[in-house]
Amino acid sequence: MDFLSNNIYYIGAFGLIFIGLFIILVKHNLIKVIIGISVLETGVNLFLIAVGYISKGTAPIFSKPGINANQMVDPVPQALVLTAIVIGVAVLAMALSLAIRLYKHYATLDLRKIKEQRW
Amino acid sequence: MGELGLLSNGVNPVLLILVPLGLAFLVPLIGFISKKIIKYIPVIAFLFNLTVALTLIPNVLKQPIVVKIGGFAPPFCINLVAGPIGILFSTLIALAGLLVSIYALSYIKEGPTEKYHMLYLLLLTGATGVVLTGDIFNLFVFFEILCISSYALVAYLGNKAGIESSIKYLIQGSVGSSLFLLGIGLLYGQFGTLNMADIANQIQSASSPSIFVPMVLMITGLGVEAAIFPLNAWLPDAHSSAPSSISAILSGIAIEVGLYAVVRVLFTIFDASNFLMFFVFLGVLTLLIGEMSAFSQKNIKRMLAYSSIGQIGLIVFAVSLNTQYGVSAGLFQMISHTLGKGLLFLAAGYMIYRTASMDISSFEGIGKKMPYTSLAFTIGTFSLIGLPPFIGFPSKFMIIKAALAKEGILFTVLIGLVLLGTVIEGAYFFRVVQVIYFKKGNGNPERKEAPITGLIPMFIFVILILLIGVYPNLITKILNSAASELLNKIDYIRSVLG
Amino acid sequence: MRRVISVILLIIICWGIILALHKIPFGIPKTKVGEYYLNRGRQETGSANIVTSVVLNYRGFDTLGEVTVLFIAAIGLGAVLATLNKKGKRKIEPSSLILNTGCRFLFPLILLFGAYIFIHGHLTPGGGFQGGAIIASAYVLIYLGCRGRRISEIGSKTTESLGGLVFIVLGLVGLAVGGHYFLSNFLPKGQLNTLFSAGIIPIIYIAIGFKVGSELAGVIDNLMEKS
Repeated sequence: MDFLSNNIYYIGAFGLIFIGLFIILVKHNLIKVIIGISVLETGVNLFLIAVGYISKGTAPIFSKPGINANQMVDPVPQALVLTAIVIGVAVLAMALSLAIRLYKHYATLDLRKIKEQRW
Repeated sequence: MGELGLLSNGVNPVLLILVPLGLAFLVPLIGFISKKIIKYIPVIAFLFNLTVALTLIPNVLKQPIVVKIGGFAPPFCINLVAGPIGILFSTLIALAGLLVSIYALSYIKEGPTEKYHMLYLLLLTGATGVVLTGDIFNLFVFFEILCISSYALVAYLGNKAGIESSIKYLIQGSVGSSLFLLGIGLLYGQFGTLNMADIANQIQSASSPSIFVPMVLMITGLGVEAAIFPLNAWLPDAHSSAPSSISAILSGIAIEVGLYAVVRVLFTIFDASNFLMFFVFLGVLTLLIGEMSAFSQKNIKRMLAYSSIGQIGLIVFAVSLNTQYGVSAGLFQMISHTLGKGLLFLAAGYMIYRTASMDISSFEGIGKKMPYTSLAFTIGTFSLIGLPPFIGFPSKFMIIKAALAKEGILFTVLIGLVLLGTVIEGAYFFRVVQVIYFKKGNGNPERKEAPITGLIPMFIFVILILLIGVYPNLITKILNSAASELLNKIDYIRSVLG
Repeated sequence: MRRVISVILLIIICWGIILALHKIPFGIPKTKVGEYYLNRGRQETGSANIVTSVVLNYRGFDTLGEVTVLFIAAIGLGAVLATLNKKGKRKIEPSSLILNTGCRFLFPLILLFGAYIFIHGHLTPGGGFQGGAIIASAYVLIYLGCRGRRISEIGSKTTESLGGLVFIVLGLVGLAVGGHYFLSNFLPKGQLNTLFSAGIIPIIYIAIGFKVGSELAGVIDNLMEKS
């Protein structure tokens, strides 16, 4: 029980990564696969932030004169996740525009039926 | 350090990334003034890049240039490492970018052409950034720039095949990037730094599970773009559905830059000498599967795409030999592949345009209708097979010699398999040449050649293939320095961290 | 069959990652780079928000790449949807008076809030990307509430290009003038926790805020028009 409460963020992040990969590998509907990509990226971002957490730390902003640098969390993973979220949004935008075009060509979003390029 | 961008030993390598990026941001504003000059902007950008990269070569052969962005000391800032291999790849990228942008002056006529040129500039900016950077998260960001521009460019034509290939490429590419980011997170959690030299300094061995797992995740993530078997299912569709100028850039630059990233991570950061035998086998397997699949193709661009998979397998085999000679041979083969495959796709582009079909059987008799283009295509095929006096011959010869230098019956068997791959390659390429020259075509045999902006890049590719094929010593010096930079982890760490 | 293989593959991956996680216990300070930024960030960059100083000053090159990625996504979306024919004029029902007036009343307030977030990026949590997203959401409100109004394409293209160019030009000025490094902080750092402090950081964040706002609004505009 103690293990669970200590590492809850890691477990949550890996749960999301697991679910995201499962959706991408198993589901046939294109929109569900795109949602799976988004869930996978959210899981990876959550994992990155959890790596940078320091126990009982607070946000790294010196808003009042008396705050000590020892009580703050690591600022670097937060900067990395900022970039990673934006990159995830960019991929999602590209994927959705391609899904719109694909629907206009094939009139279906089932990936099993969109297999014109064989061998 | 002196005026804008000039270091004491040449121009600042940061400009290699900034100039195409700045021009890409400027294109919409210029588009308000006049739409006709937009297609000349990539030509100007890569002419600048090529000149800067060529003038930097003598300087970096003495000592790599380390550029600190922001002015703080590494590892507290991002730094660019312009060493021999970085500048070699930048020259190759600028050269291919320049020639294909000249080709695209008349080839790209329909669709949103302004957006094509912006995406083209940004794709090559991403590629230059990947080869010059010294920080692993920066590698991820520039790698994403490369990948996302290529997703958009593969779908540029908007037909059924293009959109389907692009969405499949996107799904596989984004799973790969997420795995790569996961690997970066695991590495940061253990070592607390993102600088490649700093991480390399702190890794003792690659066998403990906490180092092995991030390495596998990162190689898998980068391997999707580098087209290593079994992660290359996207490649035949994507390279055959893109416009031909983009196929030339994807086959010639994008997968090689992906392979550079894999090699950099393996050699410099992880120093994974024990696992390289696995890559030797993987390389030969990729080579055989690529060549055998290419043999049964009837669509010319799919055939060329499978041939690219085969060549990547050959390069992986050469580089995993882990000797100075082997790594130089692998880099030489990369240059030969860029020049040869670029030429083949450019020539095929106009041949497909004239016959309005991608089937090989429709190229009958085209040797008379488009003599210069067919000659260029034939020279490209001979170079890839490895016939003298073209560039393919010294590069394949160096690979075989490097593999022979490693004793053992196992390597002799592998060399036999590599030669078998070359024979299969010769078979299918000769079949195409036979169709082009020796079959009687229907219709009138009048000459309708490709336009002059298509012939100039093919001509320059042919000259380079002949020149370096006859005088390989022109580039062996820089290849050797590049190989020793990859293999010598200690020198790299010392030049960055001091 | 496919499900079973996928589950086995995923269990192997998760087991591998759990093995690697033993070295990263949760909640323990691990890094030397993070400590350097926390201790020296205030003097070297002048901003009170250390995440902002990491994003824009220490790792500013990554932010340039990120801005480029969003630019590529907006252009790529435009290129893929460009040759799609517009659906024949859909009958747009005009919205009711309450909805119309309410949206138009809220619009400038949301814009103001977004602008507040990216101007104070170096003092409070937030910054260019967050503020830009809020500005784009104001435009989405106008699309959904007062139907039939579109943003001007010329204006949004100009803002995007100018935003990116301001970033690069500021970096190049740092290369030429102050300290001869790309993206060095050459403007005076001012006093901590005031609005006019931290050198070039607020200027870059303002440029990024406008750029991201117009890009995301342009993406929404493209999707609504063409589908």
